[in-house]
Formats: sequence, C-alpha cells, structure tokens
Amino acid sequence: MSLSRSLLHACLSSVALALPGLAMASTLTVQITADIRSSQPGINRDAGTDSVMLNVVEGLVAAGEKGEIRPMLAKDWSVSADGKAYTFTIRDGVKFHNGETMTAADVEWSLEKLIRDPEFSCKTFFDGSRDAKVETIKATDDRTVVITLDRPDAMFLNYMAQAQCGSTGIVHRASFNGDGSWKAPVATGPFVFGDWKRGEGLVLKKFADYSITGDKPDGYGGRKDVLVDQVKYMVVPDTATAVAGLRSGALDVLPYLPPGEAAKLKDEKDFTIVAAPHGGLVTMLFQTTDTLMSNVAMRHAVIAALDTPAIVDSVTYGLGIPNNSLVSSGSLYHTATHDKGYVYDPQAVPALLQKAGYKGEKIVILTNRRSAINYDTAIIAQAMLQSAGINAEIEVLEWASQLDRFNSGKYQIMAFNYSNRTDPGLAYQTVVGSKAKKPNTVWDDADVAALVNKSLQEADPEKRQAIFDDLHARFLDQAPFVMLANGLDVGVSGPKVRGYRTWQGFARFWGVERSE
Amino acid sequence: MKRHQPNRIIGGALLSCFLGAALVGRFWTPYDPMRLDLRSKLQAPGAAHWLGTDEFGRDVLSRLMAAAGTSVSISLITVFFAVLGGVTLGVIAGYARGWTDRIVMALNDALLAFPSMLLALALLSVTGANMYGIILALGMAYTPAMVRVVRGSVLSLREREFIEASRLMGNSAAYTMFRHILPNSLGPVIVLATSMFGSVLLTESALSFLGLGVPPPAPTWGNMLASARPHIAEAMWLGIFPGLCISLSLLGINLFGDAIRDRFDPRMRGL
Amino acid sequence: MLKFASTRLLSAIPTLFIVSVAVFGLIRLIPGDPASLMLGDLADADALAAARKTMGLDQPVPVQFLIWLGNVVQGDLGRSVLNGQPVLDLVLHRFATSAQMVLIAVGLSVLIAVPLGMAAAWRQNGGLDLTIVALSTLLLSVPTFWLGLMILLAFGLKLGWLPVLGYVSIADNPVAGLIYLVMPVLTLVLHEVGIIVRMARASTLDVLRLDYITHARAKGMSESAVLLHHAARNAFGPTWTLIGLILGNLLGGVAVVETVFTIPGLGRLIVDSIYARDYAVVQGCLLFVALTYLLVNLVVDLLYPLFDPRVTAE
Repeated sequence: MSLSRSLLHACLSSVALALPGLAMASTLTVQITADIRSSQPGINRDAGTDSVMLNVVEGLVAAGEKGEIRPMLAKDWSVSADGKAYTFTIRDGVKFHNGETMTAADVEWSLEKLIRDPEFSCKTFFDGSRDAKVETIKATDDRTVVITLDRPDAMFLNYMAQAQCGSTGIVHRASFNGDGSWKAPVATGPFVFGDWKRGEGLVLKKFADYSITGDKPDGYGGRKDVLVDQVKYMVVPDTATAVAGLRSGALDVLPYLPPGEAAKLKDEKDFTIVAAPHGGLVTMLFQTTDTLMSNVAMRHAVIAALDTPAIVDSVTYGLGIPNNSLVSSGSLYHTATHDKGYVYDPQAVPALLQKAGYKGEKIVILTNRRSAINYDTAIIAQAMLQSAGINAEIEVLEWASQLDRFNSGKYQIMAFNYSNRTDPGLAYQTVVGSKAKKPNTVWDDADVAALVNKSLQEADPEKRQAIFDDLHARFLDQAPFVMLANGLDVGVSGPKVRGYRTWQGFARFWGVERSE
Repeated sequence: MKRHQPNRIIGGALLSCFLGAALVGRFWTPYDPMRLDLRSKLQAPGAAHWLGTDEFGRDVLSRLMAAAGTSVSISLITVFFAVLGGVTLGVIAGYARGWTDRIVMALNDALLAFPSMLLALALLSVTGANMYGIILALGMAYTPAMVRVVRGSVLSLREREFIEASRLMGNSAAYTMFRHILPNSLGPVIVLATSMFGSVLLTESALSFLGLGVPPPAPTWGNMLASARPHIAEAMWLGIFPGLCISLSLLGINLFGDAIRDRFDPRMRGL
Repeated sequence: MLKFASTRLLSAIPTLFIVSVAVFGLIRLIPGDPASLMLGDLADADALAAARKTMGLDQPVPVQFLIWLGNVVQGDLGRSVLNGQPVLDLVLHRFATSAQMVLIAVGLSVLIAVPLGMAAAWRQNGGLDLTIVALSTLLLSVPTFWLGLMILLAFGLKLGWLPVLGYVSIADNPVAGLIYLVMPVLTLVLHEVGIIVRMARASTLDVLRLDYITHARAKGMSESAVLLHHAARNAFGPTWTLIGLILGNLLGGVAVVETVFTIPGLGRLIVDSIYARDYAVVQGCLLFVALTYLLVNLVVDLLYPLFDPRVTAE
C-alpha cells in the first residue's frame, strides 16, 4: 500500500514538474470564480477583472486605505482657484513593463485614449453627463500634465481613482496593436501581465524594475513590495472544490468566499480568515411607487417586523456588522448619530398595518442564488414578515434577470447588494434620484437629491458631516429601503501565506509572502 | 406470477410508504416545515429533531414530509407528459415513416439539442418561478428522448411477422398500432419512464442548485439536496435523507414498474 | 446506405434552422442583457444605450437574426461579447476538452453496464438481479453534483491520490492529462452505468421471451450460448439507441462535472454564456451541439442494423 502510494506520488510529482508554473519557487495560487473579461482596464470589465488588473496597472492617483486620495504615478498635484484645472507632477524614473521610462507625454496619450473611448465603463463620469466634462489633457513639459474641466467637480479625483474605471490606469503605446486594437497591458504596476489561458486562468509575474514609493501599503496607493515570484490565478467556479483545493494545498488564497464557508474554516488554525466591511450596501429595496409599498406606514411596518441585527448576524455568520446608515461603518463620518437605526418591534406591526390599510395582500421578495447573503436574507426576512402577519412570498431569479428587474424598477421588495462606494456622498448618490429619469433609483425625493449634490460639492468635512446627519434622519423617517449592513468580502489564506489582507473587496498581492 | 411476488411487494410497500408520507405531510408534520429557528441551526439528528435541522434551523423530517407531495407530483406529472407525448409521436413517426417521420424527428432533434437549463430559464421567465413552469420545462426536456426510444422500438417491431400478419388481415393502421405495436413496445417505455422518474427529481434538484427550482421556502427533495451541498462536511445528514428519499422512491417505482410491465406484456398473460 | 446518410444530412438542415431560430428567440426572451450585466449597479440610461450600441443590440431582433444568419452561412459565428474571442475557436476548443472526457466515460460505461444488465436479466428476480437493480437505482439517484464532490473529497483530499483541481489537455501532456481525467470520468461512469444497466436488462428480458430463444433452448443449446449468440445480438437495439442519446446529451456538455472538477469544457461554456447573456456564444454552442446530436444519432441509426438485423437503414 505505502509502496504503491509513494509510487503514485512520485509519478504525480513528475507530472507536476511537467506542468507549467506548478513547480516554480514562490508561486502564490489564487482562486478566481470566473475568468477575467479582458486585460484592458476600464473597458471590458467586471469586479473580478478589476481586482486582478489593479495589480498590474496604476493611475495618477489612487484610493487610500480609508478612501482618501493618495498620490500614485503623480508625485503631487494642485487645483486652480476656480477648481477647473488640475496640474499633476509625475514621479521621476517610473518604468513601464517594457523597460521604457514614463513621461508626461505617455500619460497624456494614455488618458486621452481611455477617457475618449466610447466603451470606457466610466465614460459618463468624465463627459459631462453626470458631473464635469474633461475638456483638455495636456503634457506641458516632461513631468507635468494639466487636465482642465468645464466646471469644478469635488469628486473628480475620486472618479479617477475608482476601481471600476480601472483607476484610469496609464499604459504604454505598446499595449495596442498597430491597428489600434488592444494587445496586452504594458503598464507600471508591481506585477507584469503574463500568460492568460482563457477559461483556465492567468499568471502575473513580479515586475523587477518596479519603482517603489511610499513607506507602507495604503489601499491602492503606498508601498508595494512584491514578495513572490508570481501569482497564478485559477478559475475554480465551485466553492466546495475551491475549499478542497485550499485544504490540499493546491490553492493558497480564496479571496471571495460565502460567509458560511468562511465561518467553518475560522476555527482551524491553518487558515487565516480576512473579513473587512467595505463601502458596499447590503439592502432590501422597496419599490416606493408600488401601490402597497408607496405607503410609508407599510414600509415602517415591514421594518418593525424585521430583527435586522439578527438577520445580519445570521447571513454573515457573525462576520458582518449591522449598520442601518448609508454612511459605512468604517467611514470617518460614521458618528454616533449614524449608529441610530431601526427598532425591532413586532408588537407595533398590527397598528402600522392597520394605518397602512393592509388587508393581507401578497408581497413578493425577489432574490437570487448568486449571492448567499441575498438568498439567506430573503429566506429569513420572509419568515419574520409571515410571523408578523405580512403575507410575504419569495421569488428566486437568476442574477441577470434580477438585475433587469432592478434596472426597470419592477419589483415590490428585493434583496440587493450595491458594490463598493468609497465615499458616503457616492453611496447616497447611487440610491437617490428621480425614478422618472432613472428607473433603478430607489429614493426619489427632490430635497434629498439637492442635499446629496451639496455633499458631493462640499469640501469642508464638518459641513459634510452635518449634511450626512440630516440625510440619515430623513432616511430613517422615510424608510425608502432597508439598509442592513455594509458589503462584506471574506477571504481565506492557507497555512503557507503571510500578510494577505482584504481591502474594500479587492485582492492585492503586494506585501504577501509564501513560505516553502 | 408467483416468482414476482417479492419485488412487487417491496416496490408496492416503498411506494405506499411515500404516498402515505405525502398524504400525512399535507395535514400534519412534527414541526412547521417553514418555521425558522436561528438558534438551533444545523443540529444533528436527535430526540427533539429525529432527522436534525437545516441551515435555518428548520426540522428536516417535517420538510421531507411536506416535500414528498410536491416532489412526487412534479415527477409523476412530468413523466406522464413525457410518456404521453413520447409514445404518441414515437409510434406515429416509427409506423408511418417517410415524411411524417422526418418532420417529427426534425422537431424532436431540435428539442433534444436544447439544454434543459435554457428551456427552464426561458419558460420560467414567462410563467414565473412556480411548479407549473418547472413541470412544463421538464416535460419538454424529457419528451424527445422518449420519442426516440419508442420510434426505435416501433421500427424494429413493424418488421416482425405478427405485425405483417395483422396488416395482411386488413386491420387498419390505427388498430395495428394500438393492438399490437403499442403493447409490445411497453418494455423500453416503462424502463425509460421509471428512470425518468428519478431523473426528474434530480434535474429539479440541479435547477434548484442553480436557483431555478421550486421557489423557497417550500421544500422539495431536490431543493433540500441542493441547499445541503455546502454543508456536506459537517452536516452530512442534510444531504443523506433527501437523497435516500429519492433513492428509495426510485427503487420502489422501478420494482413496481417491472411488475406493471409483466402485467401488460402480452407474452406474459395467462402465465 | 450512402443515400440514406446523405438524405439524413440534408434533412438536418431544417432541424438546424429550427434550433437557431428557437435559440435566438429564447435567449432574448429571458430578461437581462449583456450590457446591463457589464455595467451592474453603475447603469444609467445613457451608459446602457451606449453599451448596447457597441454590442450591436440596438437593432431590432429580426434584423439581428438576419445579420447573424448571413454570417453563419459564411462560416462566421461571431465574437463573444464577454471577451471578444471568435465563437468558432472557442466552441471547437471547449468541445475537444469535453469530448475526450465523455468518449472515455461512455465507452467504459457500456463495457461495464451491458454485461451487467444481461447478467441481471439472465438471473431475473434472483439475488444477483436484485443486487444489480438496487445498485443501479442507487447510482441513478445520486446527483452528479454530490457524487462528484464526494469523489473529489475522497480521492483528492482524504487519500491525496489525485490532484484536486486544475486541468491539462491530453494533447499537451498525455500522462498528466489522463490523471486529471480520472475523477470526472469516474463520476460520469458511475452515473451512466446506472442508466444503461437497466435498459440492457430490460431489452434482454424482452428478447429472452421470444420464440426463437425458446426454440434454441429446446434444441438443447446451453444457456450461455443462447445468451451470447442469440440474445446479446438482438437485445442491444434499444440499448444502442439509449447510448446514442446519452452520448449526444453528454457531448452537449456536462456542466456540473466540469464545474466541480474545474475542466474548461463546452458545458461550462454554455452555462456561463447563458448567465452572461453572451448571445453569440450561446447561439454558436447550441448550433454546434445540435449538429453533434444529429451526427451521433445518424451514426447510431446507421449502425442499428448491426445489432438488430430486422431493421434496415434506409
């Protein structure tokens, strides 16, 4: 038995030697649940693609640990008095992956190419349809780039740093083919984009000539020391398989795990669980134009029937922090005012229902199986509503179908997660607006919309705090939807990994070590 | 007939057991099958909960009983449609041959090539996620295989002497089909139908796994099995009990199916 | 025979046309589209419209269909909206991966299941029969998403004999390729054996009751000779049809097994593309699957007379 087994092992290890990448020294193997969409940042993307590509590309500025704006390829910058011109001084001696040194002309060319691209996923942030329009991008000398806007925009640098926009990453001309089509990123980040086998995975290699800046890691800015030779991403769609892979040592890091799976690994000493709430929102949306849900007493009845801390505790297996405010629990603006939340009061429900004129009509809660948190939230909420005398039912939709209902606004109640919003103002901006103009808006109130705009254009923290406090009071009073907690990404790393942390739901691989 | 007794008795006993559970489950279960108890999640089988509790603290035995009715009826109705459609089209195509055969088979092959998941998604988006949409999708997915098997068996039968004889005796095509071809092709039909019975339960399970099955909180054996999968390591019982229900009901229907076949098989009559 | 094959191939054209119309319509009937999936909760009306335009979804559906059909006739299946790859390359590459696994699995299943089924029929209602029937029933009732995971946990994790995840093509490295195929093939074999055993048993039972078997027995032929010379040959017909169905079905994708064992096959491609509403890929895949189905069934029908001499292929 032992002989045949060791023979088998010998045979397998010889196989392993023959496999590319498996036998290399210090390779960090990481699960991705789906293949990346493209290697072109900000163009053809989804959250998983951003998380991979932001190890490869960098922009002029980056989001820091708490969402504040940090220098990256720009050493510093200044804003003109009228707030319309941004002058960036770029860092000296930054090398592209092909060995060439980055100049201001490269930055101008790259930004121009990205921002004017009709397929840029953040096009509307920069073309005047949401906020300011980028009028010109000019390299005034070898080290200076000036960007001018048509009007002042306090959020401009935030948009530049957003992951969904590929951090408006700077790439070399060699990233494109002669005909202008995309080839592969030649950027400035700490990892070089390597071999990509579609449907199977890809490899990022350490960039030896990376120009290090800063003294400690800070979000997507700061110091980026690469401590492994390469990071190998493997597409493993099934969570159970990925966990088996982690246990067998075939995988080192699972960056996104359903909380229930992570909770099971929590007590085992070999594994390190990293869980951090980010600026995303875990919610149950109400459609406030629905005949039933348009009644504010009805919405308060639903909320009074829900034990929201118990829901959060159960769906996140104790890893999440209940939060009924849109100001995220990790934000500087989350003061005691924002700890004030819903009151679980099943006794008050009948009176509220009577006030709303509710006669036992059916209410459908939409949810999906893609997000374990959405699914479990709907199941638990439905049971709580039923026992409080509200006739709730669940309808499970496939994710794309649910997203379609979200975008068209056709629902009564929906368990839904918003992706990461780095600033409380942006979180409010996502949900507030006019349903007539944008059917996926949730909170339709003109006064609130004006307040949100003010918060986005206000630079003074104290004044912003006052606006957010006001908004939270209105949010509890109007109850346009149920805010349960901030988005939660749970990752786990294996016994050989040191220093892996999750931040804002992204998997960064600088500062991560793998012992042999 | 005597030598078939044990199989028929085991089959009948298993089936009546499940039908009984389904019937009782409609009126009474030990606990409310939908009631959550977040404080007693994932409890192993014990005195309070004979078959344990699931990830929401619901009583597994109560859910299995409540699920029996739904699961068995989804499966039976689906198989009934597949048999009805499959036998009709298969016999017609196999017996008539020529153009009729070609048209039926062209449509049939088109349907066969369709993944049941796409069918289910499309149909459920029209009907809404409910039992009827699922039965419709599954019925459409299962009929073509039945058509093919029946047609194959009819093609082979129509060359036999007794069919030839019936035709020469001046019997109408319809008479020959019903009197001679149909009873003689029952063997493969029953085998396929009884296999389908189990397969439907599993496909419903796979659809639930994808979030397209019978909507929660209503239990079916399939969706219980699907939602038990993440807990395979620490709560094995969550998967084993619904799995056993599917296995045993399938075994029951198979054994019983054999008995039915013998009963209707003309060659076995009077034995 | 040649005429039969060519008529059948010609009559495949309407089937393929029906498939393409149906797929085109159905996938657009399902709510959700690739543009809104890409934009997620960032979507606003302008951004959606722009994304739809670049994906060619702003045209009326019939126009889209005609454009697509025109390209297909010229051999161009379009490109994936997800990653821009040509659909034909994608489909062929993924199909090769699935096919090597499925062909091995079905071959093994037949070799195991047909003799077992005949043995069960031969000893009908005996202990052997009951055991075989009960075991095959048990196998039939374990969903592959459970069976696959149990095999993975047992051989990959507990025993550590086989790699838990990853995939190497047999073409790149035959030894490693086969090692990665062991667990998925085992999962498929266990499941398919359950189905084929029962069909083989039933059709053997049918044949054993026929007159000429009785004659053969009466002539004093040994049971094994009866079983091998007369019954085996004639009993294989319906089983053969079923094998064709299974093969066609599996070649069309084994999404669950491919997901559990991280194999980049056609089944996973279809499921992923349906989720992503990658219309061109779904259409291309299903057209290809339908063609495979037709070819497999054609071969099955052509070979049918070998197993059942009463039927002629025409």
